[in-house]
Amino acid sequence: MNYLLFIWADGMPAPEELAVMQRELPGWHEEFKRRGVQLFGRELDLPETAATVRVRDGETLLTDGPFAETKEFVAGFNLLECADLDEAIEVAAKCPISQFQPLEIRPFSDGLRLSEQVSAFAHEDDSAGTPYLLTLWIGGTPAAPIDDQAAIDAGQVWRQDLVERGLHVLGSALGGRDAATTVRVRDGQTLLSDGPFTKIEAFIAGIEVVSCADRQQAIQLAATHPIARDHAIEVRPFYRE
Amino acid sequence: MTTPAVQAAVDAAFREEWGRVLATLIRRTGDWDLAEECAQEAFTEALRRWPVDGVPQRPGAWLTTVAGNRAIDRLRRGARGAELLEQAGREALPQSDTDEDAMPELFDETDEIEDDRLRLIFTCCHPALPLDGRVALTLRSLAGLTTAEIARAFLVPEATMAKRLTRTKTKIAAAGIPYRVPPAHLLPERTAGVLAVLYLMFNEGHSASSGTELIRVGLCDEAIRLGRALQQLMPDEPEAMGTLALMLLHHSRRHARVSGDGELITLEEQDRDRWDQAEIQEGLQLLESALHRRQVGPYQLQAAIAACHARAASAADTDWPEIAGLYALLARQLPSPVVRLNRAVAVAMAGDIEAGLAIVDELSGDSRLQRYYLLEATRADLLRRRGDQPAAATAYARALPLAPSEVERRYLRRRLQEVGGSPATSPGS
Repeated sequence: MNYLLFIWADGMPAPEELAVMQRELPGWHEEFKRRGVQLFGRELDLPETAATVRVRDGETLLTDGPFAETKEFVAGFNLLECADLDEAIEVAAKCPISQFQPLEIRPFSDGLRLSEQVSAFAHEDDSAGTPYLLTLWIGGTPAAPIDDQAAIDAGQVWRQDLVERGLHVLGSALGGRDAATTVRVRDGQTLLSDGPFTKIEAFIAGIEVVSCADRQQAIQLAATHPIARDHAIEVRPFYRE
Repeated sequence: MTTPAVQAAVDAAFREEWGRVLATLIRRTGDWDLAEECAQEAFTEALRRWPVDGVPQRPGAWLTTVAGNRAIDRLRRGARGAELLEQAGREALPQSDTDEDAMPELFDETDEIEDDRLRLIFTCCHPALPLDGRVALTLRSLAGLTTAEIARAFLVPEATMAKRLTRTKTKIAAAGIPYRVPPAHLLPERTAGVLAVLYLMFNEGHSASSGTELIRVGLCDEAIRLGRALQQLMPDEPEAMGTLALMLLHHSRRHARVSGDGELITLEEQDRDRWDQAEIQEGLQLLESALHRRQVGPYQLQAAIAACHARAASAADTDWPEIAGLYALLARQLPSPVVRLNRAVAVAMAGDIEAGLAIVDELSGDSRLQRYYLLEATRADLLRRRGDQPAAATAYARALPLAPSEVERRYLRRRLQEVGGSPATSPGS
């Protein structure tokens, strides 16, 4: 099964946290890449670089900043290919970040769609186009149901179109909030909690990574996604050295 | 055979076999709802067939075969049928015969079937599931309680409980929770998780967290029954033995804990002739064989504390220094403020009230105990024993609005009056 591992943060890591991560992250990547469990991961740029796109009555509404008005934000993600949830929990619990920040495990409900561009993206080679993460937030609007399967299904057509245009890197719908598990490690103990990390009404129903000429194009693509019509899409670039 | 006799046989088979039948069906089909429906149908079929054919020698095998055949029929009709049937075929699901003599050697694989029940327990108690869902699904799947029965036990509407069960099963499938006994490196942690669910179930029955009824015996009985099953399935696990011993030792006092008019009776004031000696003996023996294995864990320690009370012929004979020592060991394994609070009582009862009160004072700063009525109630009891009635009254009055059940509130009001205080300002009086 494919899982997405969201790494949550509430600010910049403290120097001692950074030291632990720098020391232990390479070994963690190495172990799970060798086992074929960890596909790859990328870090996102800071939340203030995000824009949130909504389409209402045919008009694109753009707001600066991330969708969720919480202190916590997604700092990056990893893609996993695991036998089951226990293996995904093992990956999360062994990740040094889980000592400081919560990690959220979400299964891809319809499998994970990877395009040809994914290899370059995984190697942080962004020469062919700048990758942007589109985060599909459902809920928080009274107009549409919280379980908007129709909009999620329509997203497949949108994705196919982008694949044909060579703009799609990866993405898929995620299992609903009932399928989420949050992992923390405290004093060497793995602590699990049921559900997504954020307790806000809206939840992340899927992710898409698109490869664009610029931010403007990423926003335009987000505006054509069916989720943008009743819900919201957060557009954010990835971190670059 | 007469209908009541058959009904009794089906009822007995249900108690004994429901968990086994369901556990095997889930392994073969991978579909919890389908497995549950087919298991249900097999029991209905037994009610129809057994009066005519007689009760089979191995009711569990008969029921599993019938339920398995129902599953095959449904899968043939279903969309994903072919794929699942192929899997089921590899597992040698018997085709269409309910004659147990003609059945394949499948049911001689007793180990595999027993493992199914363990798989089911570990899956229902998986730590990624919501805690209330773990308890409910364990009661539904292993104990065979109906949704309505579980809803009653937890004082929630049936629709709420049905939703909780569905949501829990959905998570198992959607999140990819494996149906298995965890591998060795996960086993200790996950076993502790299963024991925690059983003990939570027991405690929910033993001391209702809300409402007026202090003891909901049904949940205690189910937790003990599941504890016995787990102990048989994991005979080398001393903590499973310890949990069962602990539940039995607490359960043995149930008739003495609440008076005829529903008042809570403290351990000290209980009529020990009303303690269930058979349960005490069983609990003590289990504890002894557990301790022999020399892998002492928190459940064995708590059972050892309960055993000190069980062995004392009267409250005055209680070996409080031993109990205080056991709590000190427990606090090392389970660094919880509640354990330290209990240790405070034991230290005071062992003769050093001032030392006990000092521990209570230390705990007053712990935010986790801010809304815990037993902190103030314990302080009040120790102050009362020291003869400091006005201070005791203040502490009882502070404990009163925090007590979760009416029975506990009545107890506190009675104590408050004894030390000359007035409960007039507390809510619910």
